[in-house]
Amino acid sequence: MADIATYVLTGLGLVFFIAGTVGLIRFPDQFSRLHALTKGDNLGLGFIALGVAFQTETWAQVAMLLLIWGLALLAAGTVSQLVARAAVSESQKP
Amino acid sequence: MFRMQIFWTALFHRSLLLGGVWTSLTGAEALALGGLVTALAVWLSLRLLPATHPLVLWRAVRHIPRFIAGSVDGGVDVARRAFSPNMRLRPGWLEVQTDLPDGARVVLGGELSLMPGTLAAGSEDGKLLVHVLDTDAGFDNAIPREAEDIATIIGHKPKARP
Repeated sequence: MADIATYVLTGLGLVFFIAGTVGLIRFPDQFSRLHALTKGDNLGLGFIALGVAFQTETWAQVAMLLLIWGLALLAAGTVSQLVARAAVSESQKP
Repeated sequence: MFRMQIFWTALFHRSLLLGGVWTSLTGAEALALGGLVTALAVWLSLRLLPATHPLVLWRAVRHIPRFIAGSVDGGVDVARRAFSPNMRLRPGWLEVQTDLPDGARVVLGGELSLMPGTLAAGSEDGKLLVHVLDTDAGFDNAIPREAEDIATIIGHKPKARP
């Protein structure tokens, strides 16, 4: 049962990672591409962490997975802002 | 008196957070060393980033379900557009007026970047620059609500406008 949950959830996670990458390639400008990357990968990693959580033996391992997702979220939110900001000031240069 | 209260709440929250990180990394082993390391880390964090606002922890926790729902919406929306043949993109820019303090504005920007269709690109003169993926989809309706939630979490009262 736990194995099935892992298959389904990590599979879903992969779909969102692929979606993020497809968006990165297909979307027309750099800001739209950032949307795809941050949001797609955030959700993809969330589903993969949730799927792997069904294989854990202790609560500490679940906490560690949560920590990984939390830190990745923090990084995604911060880095996307920095990249977007850099792109804005780049495009405003004379 | 108020400042001391902010200091002690921050001390408590950060000890809880960093102690929790230690416990989850080590699996509740080496607790004596963990206590020492946590105390050092909390001291360093209070030195590098002094507390300025009385963060309300239960309001932050109460915000988590909304945040997760928004993340799922955001990911699903962007995935549907990426896989759909014509993508239905109508990118545009918004300037969001907010009187949140600097740190909170960055948090708002980070959060908006994970919510459906919005992406923060830093701020200028206190205005948050937000990129919208589809200007027809009404993504911007969620922004005031997020800003308000963050303001209540840090106990920030908006300045009265004349």
